[in-house]
Amino acid sequence: MSWGELGGGALRAALLFAVMGVGASAFAARYRDVRGLLSARWCALIALGLVALADLAMVGALVTHDFRIAYVANNNALETPLFYSVISLWAALEGSILLWTLVLAGATAFVAWRGTVAMPRLATTALGILFVMLSFFLLLVTTPAADPFTPSAIVPENGRGPNALLQNNPLMALHPPLLYLGYVLFSVPFAYALASLILGEGGDRWLVATRRYALVSWALLGTGIVAGAWWSYAVLGWGGYWAWDPVENAAIMPWLTATAYLHSVMVEEKRRLLRTWNLALVIGTFALTILGTFLTRSGIVNSVHAFSLSAIGPLLLGYLVAILVVSCGLLLWRSRELADGGALGAPLSREAVFLFQNVLFVAATLTVLLGTLYPLIAEALSGTQLSIGAPYFDRVEVPIGLALLFLMGVGPQLPWHGASRATLERQFAAPAVTAALAAVVSVAAGARGAAPVLTYALAAFVAATVTQEVARGIRARGALHGERGGTAFLALFRRNGRRYGGYVVHLGIALIAVAIAASQSGTVEAEQTLAPGGSMAVAGRVITLEAIRDVDEPQRRRVVADVRVSGASGDTRLEPSVAFYPNATQPVGTPGIGAGLDEDVYVILAAYDQRGKAWATIRTRVIPFVSWLWVGGAVIGLGSVIAALPPPRRRPVRTPAVVEAAPAGAE
Amino acid sequence: MSARASRGIGGRRLVAFAALALAIGIGFVAAQSLAGTAVYYLTPTEAQHRGLAPGQTARLGGQVEAGSLRYEPASRDLRFVIGDGVSRVQVVGTGAPPGLLREGAGAVVEGAFGTDGVFRATQVIAKHDEVYQAPPPGATPSHRTP
Repeated sequence: MSWGELGGGALRAALLFAVMGVGASAFAARYRDVRGLLSARWCALIALGLVALADLAMVGALVTHDFRIAYVANNNALETPLFYSVISLWAALEGSILLWTLVLAGATAFVAWRGTVAMPRLATTALGILFVMLSFFLLLVTTPAADPFTPSAIVPENGRGPNALLQNNPLMALHPPLLYLGYVLFSVPFAYALASLILGEGGDRWLVATRRYALVSWALLGTGIVAGAWWSYAVLGWGGYWAWDPVENAAIMPWLTATAYLHSVMVEEKRRLLRTWNLALVIGTFALTILGTFLTRSGIVNSVHAFSLSAIGPLLLGYLVAILVVSCGLLLWRSRELADGGALGAPLSREAVFLFQNVLFVAATLTVLLGTLYPLIAEALSGTQLSIGAPYFDRVEVPIGLALLFLMGVGPQLPWHGASRATLERQFAAPAVTAALAAVVSVAAGARGAAPVLTYALAAFVAATVTQEVARGIRARGALHGERGGTAFLALFRRNGRRYGGYVVHLGIALIAVAIAASQSGTVEAEQTLAPGGSMAVAGRVITLEAIRDVDEPQRRRVVADVRVSGASGDTRLEPSVAFYPNATQPVGTPGIGAGLDEDVYVILAAYDQRGKAWATIRTRVIPFVSWLWVGGAVIGLGSVIAALPPPRRRPVRTPAVVEAAPAGAE
Repeated sequence: MSARASRGIGGRRLVAFAALALAIGIGFVAAQSLAGTAVYYLTPTEAQHRGLAPGQTARLGGQVEAGSLRYEPASRDLRFVIGDGVSRVQVVGTGAPPGLLREGAGAVVEGAFGTDGVFRATQVIAKHDEVYQAPPPGATPSHRTP
């Protein structure tokens, strides 16, 4: 049996089991039937096994260069290194959808085996919805439009190899799976929300049951976005990391609404408010993940990431419309049961800050959506082609971002229901002084412009509030439990993970804010044509071009410039290069990056003498604090892990995940 | 108790109004910025038909004409002709061309016409990823703003 037959057969069999799973879980939910639930569980597990088999078959075909499969012929070549062969699973459309389906099958199986223990009705209904989604994606990968195992029309001697931009950096192994995991895991909160609406449960059990899924999905999406920014920085060679490209926007939009949701959830838990709003946020976030896939996979928007124009666009659009119609219909139908049980408090209360924060996050999402879709709207209405670039997004999103940074410092310091004057003074005196100091220090150090200085001040404000909270928490543990220093510190994070993990995430965001402000406002750039041995000066450094040489590798040919960067702290050697892949008509540049905590030296081989290698044009950018972005991403990941870990139990019995999450008052 | 309740209700109205005002304000800024920052995206033929005023920012998309690409390493003077099969426009810029810029391949230039009819590019963007999306002749290639 060939890889193609194995994979294609596995997908078709998985489709069968997914459809059976829809029936079994519907039966189980309707009649509270254990046998139905049991069959649904086995369907989920078998479907997962079969989809995993299909994914492995594709990896097997890629690794063994089986060009009888069109996807392999188009995305792999005999000389592709093993590592890039494996990750070519997500190098193009069909493989990406295959990976997507695997993650969805995994989420379905996880819910089937862990989620249905405590709350059969809600969970089995949610399971049925997940099976419907899984069936849709399996239907997609078994139609000719997106069948990853479509045979080659003519089996070539050698394949075309992966897209040159994708085989140039190992970060490509990290960024798409993280994003897909984040995208797909949000199906679980969505399925529970929908199930809760279908069953007419007025309460927030769905929300408590899926809080952890939402958090993990959000964290994966966030770190995936940072990994993507890092890839863009290390591969595309323009010295930036974010271009407001439609695909980047498609990734950031669900992240923004999910962030809003993670905060408004707390308002529902603590104050029984914003129920409809939370459901709408979950539905909106999920719809945005599908919209993102549609936008970038259908070729209707121009993007550097765009895959070829594909027939699955209309299918995805139909799916998106169906999701929106069903969800909004259910929301309207149940609107009476969703009335809030109380009123919003005073302006200076935590719930009010959450409300403003939510308005800002949703406004940020809608304005990004507007900027992304406006070229399409303008073309449809007036036939003119135009582009909306960074100036629009910078003008709109920077003020929103600063306001959010401010609220991030304020919110956790305000009590629920409202604050007194004494509380305000106690909570904000030290952070306000810190912020003012940071502003003065940054101006003294040479920062210019309102937005950067404000960013540094607000980031310091946030850091000060977090430090203050942690210090108080340690003192409280000392008073209550007699713990000291390190023990108290660890206990704080372990026993109150959701709160203190959240603070760690806030620190990560502050780091990223500083990185963005500093790198956007403080970058120094110079470009010069040098002969070997020649040098140029940039921001107190001397950049010397030592040699230009050819490097031949099996899958590509490279032209490398040997560059020495001499600064106060010694010499660094960098190798910016240009690579020629046999399958690409155009060369791919790779920057040489001398990374540091305070600044990166980013050197690009912009042009060179193709005949005698007598000269090269070297572009150098000195970018301050840009590495804080990647550190901030890691800190966000760490904070999310702390927040997602279940707190230690007093009971010795190990209970299933959903039961652990159930007591809302635990924190 | 009554003081707290009345503060709650007054506060509630205040919070709701403030949130609404915030949303409207952002919508207004977004609409303004959208109008102010939209860059029209034209083929050389369209640019000549429209009679763009000198100095007005626009983007031209087309093919780099064969034999027209000149880059002077010493002065970092970049010149090429961008065409769409009907019209051609002389483009000048400063700095090394992007690595992906090739004669015969798609390119997008952002900048403005000078009074002499030469297009002064502030940004030259080569069309990425030719393997996956070859633009048909005459079509405006995809764009990206680094």
